[in-house]
Amino acid sequence: MYRIRFHGRGGQGMKTASRILGTAFFLEGFEVQDAPRYGAERRGAPIFAYVRASKEAINERGIIKEPGLVIVADDTLVAMPAAGVLQGVTEDTVILIVSVIEAELWKDRLNFPGRVLTVIPPGEGQSHERAFTGGAIAGAAARLTGAVSKASLEEAIREELIPLGTKVVEENLEDALSVYEFMAEHEGCVAPGTAIAVEGFTPPNWVELPFEDARLSSPAIHAEATSEQIKTGLWRTVRPVIDYELCNRCSWLCSTFCPESAISVNEDGFPEIDYEHCKGCMICMTQCPPHAISGVLEREAKGGEDNET
Amino acid sequence: MKRRLLTGNGAAAWGARLANVDYVPAFPITPQTEIIETLGSWIDSKEMAGRMVTLESEHSMVTAAGAAAATGVRVFTATSSQGLLYAMEMLYTVAGWRAPFVMVNVSRGLSAPITLEPDHNDILAARDSGFLQIHAATCQEVLDSVLMAYRLSEDARVRLPVIVNLDGFYLSFTREPVEVPKEDKVLSFLPPFDPENIRFRASTPISQAVAVLGGGPYSYFRYETHLAALNALSVFDEISVEFGRFFGRSFDAVEAYRTEDAEFVFVMMGSFATKAKEATDRLREAGWLVGLVRPKLFRPFPKEHFLKLLKGKKGIAVIDQNISMGKGGVLYTELASVLYGSLDDGPVMASFIGGLGGRDISSEEFFEIAKVIRRAAEEGKAPPPRLLYTEEELREMRKLQVIANAERNQAGKRVGKKDE
Amino acid sequence: MSEETFKSVKDLPSTRLLCGGTPMCSGCGALEALHEIYDILGKKTVFVNAAGCMTLLSIYPFTPFRGSWLYTAMASAPAGAQGVRDALDILIEKKQMPPEDDLQVVVLTGDGAAYGMGLSSTSAAIDRELDFLYICYDNEGYGNTGQQFSAATPHAAKTATSKGPRGYPGYKKDLFSIWAAHKPPYVATVVGSEPLDLAKKIEKASELKGPRLIIAFSPCPTGWGFDPKLSVEIGKLAVKSGVWPLKEYIDGKVIHTKIPRKRVPVEEYLKVQGRFSHLFSPKRNEELISEIQARVDAYWKEVEG
Repeated sequence: MYRIRFHGRGGQGMKTASRILGTAFFLEGFEVQDAPRYGAERRGAPIFAYVRASKEAINERGIIKEPGLVIVADDTLVAMPAAGVLQGVTEDTVILIVSVIEAELWKDRLNFPGRVLTVIPPGEGQSHERAFTGGAIAGAAARLTGAVSKASLEEAIREELIPLGTKVVEENLEDALSVYEFMAEHEGCVAPGTAIAVEGFTPPNWVELPFEDARLSSPAIHAEATSEQIKTGLWRTVRPVIDYELCNRCSWLCSTFCPESAISVNEDGFPEIDYEHCKGCMICMTQCPPHAISGVLEREAKGGEDNET
Repeated sequence: MKRRLLTGNGAAAWGARLANVDYVPAFPITPQTEIIETLGSWIDSKEMAGRMVTLESEHSMVTAAGAAAATGVRVFTATSSQGLLYAMEMLYTVAGWRAPFVMVNVSRGLSAPITLEPDHNDILAARDSGFLQIHAATCQEVLDSVLMAYRLSEDARVRLPVIVNLDGFYLSFTREPVEVPKEDKVLSFLPPFDPENIRFRASTPISQAVAVLGGGPYSYFRYETHLAALNALSVFDEISVEFGRFFGRSFDAVEAYRTEDAEFVFVMMGSFATKAKEATDRLREAGWLVGLVRPKLFRPFPKEHFLKLLKGKKGIAVIDQNISMGKGGVLYTELASVLYGSLDDGPVMASFIGGLGGRDISSEEFFEIAKVIRRAAEEGKAPPPRLLYTEEELREMRKLQVIANAERNQAGKRVGKKDE
Repeated sequence: MSEETFKSVKDLPSTRLLCGGTPMCSGCGALEALHEIYDILGKKTVFVNAAGCMTLLSIYPFTPFRGSWLYTAMASAPAGAQGVRDALDILIEKKQMPPEDDLQVVVLTGDGAAYGMGLSSTSAAIDRELDFLYICYDNEGYGNTGQQFSAATPHAAKTATSKGPRGYPGYKKDLFSIWAAHKPPYVATVVGSEPLDLAKKIEKASELKGPRLIIAFSPCPTGWGFDPKLSVEIGKLAVKSGVWPLKEYIDGKVIHTKIPRKRVPVEEYLKVQGRFSHLFSPKRNEELISEIQARVDAYWKEVEG
């Protein structure tokens, strides 16, 4: 059985990718499961989707624990534990990262014994809005399994995306086919995985759940402001940066408008951005009267940080 | 101690009054309304402290009840049938909050068709909600149950809401002598409610009833609620001993009547069980070794009590005043699950559905049930479930159908000839 | 009184009591309004919440609040507020709680609950003169389930359940007037993009007793289809175009707190949102655009007399 997991951010088309790949496998005569996994998180937050495909009936369900292929649509997710990109990977897993950074460098960074591949984001250096498309990712997965023909991939894209209009179909087709070609040398590198064996299985560590009275066991939080521990800054793809030369210490409109309470005002009357929680909505940038706030791609901002340290 | 004549509703109101409740969110519904009217008049005349507020629905009523309990006051409320179902979302919700309070349900058959008279489908719909359930059979028990319920509900080992159930009309509007305990005695039996750390105060911020993500935390919270409900079994027994000491009458989780040497046992809940008690006495006089087992506590389900009482019996007739569509009697099903595999050479069980929508159960029917279960035990074979419904009743039904012009020809074809 | 505290934007608090880390969408107009409101109300509050986007503010064990919170259900948050308020009053009355431990009870619901399922419990809470503040974050649809239309959805908006060429056939319910018809002490509309107006109203509301109700217009990048960075801009356009009148009901009168002198054409507001894109492409729908404009014009004609 092929077990494939897509990691991306809400809004990047992971569900679309899983549906396209699911349909493509189905067209090839496979039994298929495809599903997105939603949490409470929204646009920009890490999400994942998955596809199972097998010539036999599929009885597994839910999250894929040991993926044969992991595709990461946004390389900023790799280092984010909450995204769970590396969950359950073994040396037989193939990891494909959509990134401008080379595969070898990723392999070193992750200290991962298996195969790591990268693909440059489609449209990189061109239109920003097209940076990630479900079609491209599905195209990569299709080729890496070697089990999906170009024709099925095309048909699947049309079937899944036609309600979104011909422009979307054409864009996705173009991206998908280009990535499909790009991956030709790795065709079939993702092998179907096997089922969990009974022999030598690891038994679950079941416990007798002890009774705990309601002071402990009611669904209540006996504290304040604990959500501070959630680093929603990880959702950000664009970072607002304040040019303090230009900031005129207005009436801190940026701070008032920031939905996340992520901009505070320091003793000198200058606003400061809490990058751990800023989700990168960029309202501050659009509302700053003297235009003292600009947007920097997170990837580039991160790179800068790396150099500094 | 002085006894006075009280309706079941009146006894429930007295229970709330003696429990010194702080807060009574209310909504009228037949046959419960007398409870809130009584409490309302006591509060208005200052005979009773506490605050009452009439909400616009039972859904809101239970929300307000849970929210007030979660803030740290003692809450009482009451409802019936459709009202209980209208509040159903909130029953599960406030139990999950671990908000302890007492709600009286006056049982009444459920719509459709809408009716006023009692059966237990309303209360049994709340079976899995997290509310504990005490079922009363007399007006005295109604009052006693309310006091027991507060002790049980607020106990730190439990901390769950409790429903006290009484049957509409048969108890709600029926006066019986009831011993009303002295206030100071009740106060020592039932000290004021201590909400501990689950309450709203400006100095100790708390976020209650928050969402969870994922099955792990959800399973934990849900199972802890289940464990708390199970705890209520031993806590109930403990409180019941205390209750006896304080008030001089016992309040066991399961009533056992003439069961010791009985070969055959009726199992029933609620006020109709006293009819079975009456039949038991008559059958005993006629030389039958029969008895009655009546759970007062239904949630948590008193499994061990049942096993102890039913061990060695030849036959059990469960008479359910409810029906689970497509399955049958609920108590029968629950008891079967308890007995299965637990008793060697277990007794034969038979299921009877009776008393739906207040339909009476006659002594003769109990006698016949005894006959059926004895025969079943002799043959070692359980009979099919039986609805207690007579040919006379069906004939009356036919007359109504004729007036309603309901498929006149069909009705005639099927049974008309025989009936005429 | 309140007018004195917040004379200019400079006077607005910058305490930022509501902390970050919530799962609300990036650029959420509702969260923006809420954090502005929270800075004025302070932490001696208990938010009683109904099912909606904001239910996910508190997910075990994380809460952004420095005060308290109770999640109820979709229909009955005002009843939950009733229970909490009454219980606090009882505790103070019985001297079982010091008065300084008292909390302001605040209902927080979306438009799905406010305009629909919870309307009866709200109406009844006003009838009972419950001392509470109701905040409806109005993002004009069932946002948490993917923006299906609600009774707050504006005419012609495309939602997940009104995908036809003419969008939502109904008209946005006038909840302000429905609430005002109950004659409570205070009703107001606000929007996060007008923080001074918002602050004045929230302060005024918190100085009054009894039912006080606020509808916070909440631009929703996810549900309305726009870039999160435009969230404030769209709020401002809603006010400037006259689509969202800023007003209050107090002492039996409706007062408009910000009358857009020269109204921007509604299409300026409509065309920046995906949910109205079918009014402009592939073909401009003059009829619908004019209808929407005419309704806005008629409203203001009445206001301006």
